[in-house]
Amino acid sequence: MNFLWQTFDKNEITILILLTLAYTLFFILPYKFKREITWLLMLLGFTIGVFFDFTIGGGLIDFFTLNDTNHYELFDLCYYLIFAPFSYFFIYFYDMFNIHKKTFIFYILLWVIIGVSMQWVFTKLGIVEFQNGYKISFSFAVFLTTQTFTALYYELIRSGVQVLKRG
Amino acid sequence: MAFTVFFVSAWLIISIFAIIPKRLTIIENSFIFLATSVISINWTWIINEELKYVKITEDPANYAGFLIFRSIIIPTLLMVQLNLYDHSSSAMKKGVIFTVSVVCLLLLTILSRVLDISTYKEWSLGFDAIYYVFLHFFSIGVWKLIRKTTHNEVKHS
Repeated sequence: MNFLWQTFDKNEITILILLTLAYTLFFILPYKFKREITWLLMLLGFTIGVFFDFTIGGGLIDFFTLNDTNHYELFDLCYYLIFAPFSYFFIYFYDMFNIHKKTFIFYILLWVIIGVSMQWVFTKLGIVEFQNGYKISFSFAVFLTTQTFTALYYELIRSGVQVLKRG
Repeated sequence: MAFTVFFVSAWLIISIFAIIPKRLTIIENSFIFLATSVISINWTWIINEELKYVKITEDPANYAGFLIFRSIIIPTLLMVQLNLYDHSSSAMKKGVIFTVSVVCLLLLTILSRVLDISTYKEWSLGFDAIYYVFLHFFSIGVWKLIRKTTHNEVKHS
């Protein structure tokens, strides 16, 4: 059992590139939210990634393997860390484009298509390998759930708390 | 049976959370739920699947009970504990709440063994007790960190 990586090849390199790009964009974008809201959105994305992966991607259900193996390794953690800034970007642009009742469905669908497309690319790069009858189309259900939940959760937070930085 | 027991337990703890006075803000409660979920999920995976210290059932209904315990009951109970902890005026009351919460988790762990959800291989209830105590201290640490951050931001704005 190797806690670092099974073999260091294209999937590990892709994860490193994606991590770098995502966190660079995170630091480049002007800060919009209060500090604790930024942390919360990042933690929400990370937790959703961990929750779905360990629930349907492991254990008894085990619909996919990550990074060549069913064992937990460093790059699995790096993979989950990519979810954090993407959750932040999802809400960042949600707020920036002032998404409302008429545009909500389209905005969610756009991100679902981005999410499923990225997962398809991940399967081609060997980061994710489906098994036990899992099909890429099932990921629509996963992303529809996560993105809708994230947007509604943000609406709930925004209704009771000042989320944006002052000034 | 295990599924029903853990489903009812989850319903009960969520209901308790819904009715207790909330001393923590929605942001603080969210942080506690999310952070303890991450620890709970990772811990059970490492102990059960990587190190094989505990064997988890292969019966689908019982396995659903395990998932409910890991991903819903543990983080929600920690939120309940912290809301009551903050509500308590004395150190004695805080200590009692902390202890009752740890004991609740230990009772549910014993129940999961009795109902064949988990079987100890190279593990003992004492290790679980240490883990639950750590998890409680961790949740208190996260809450204090978030409260301090929020407080500082209010002061500086």
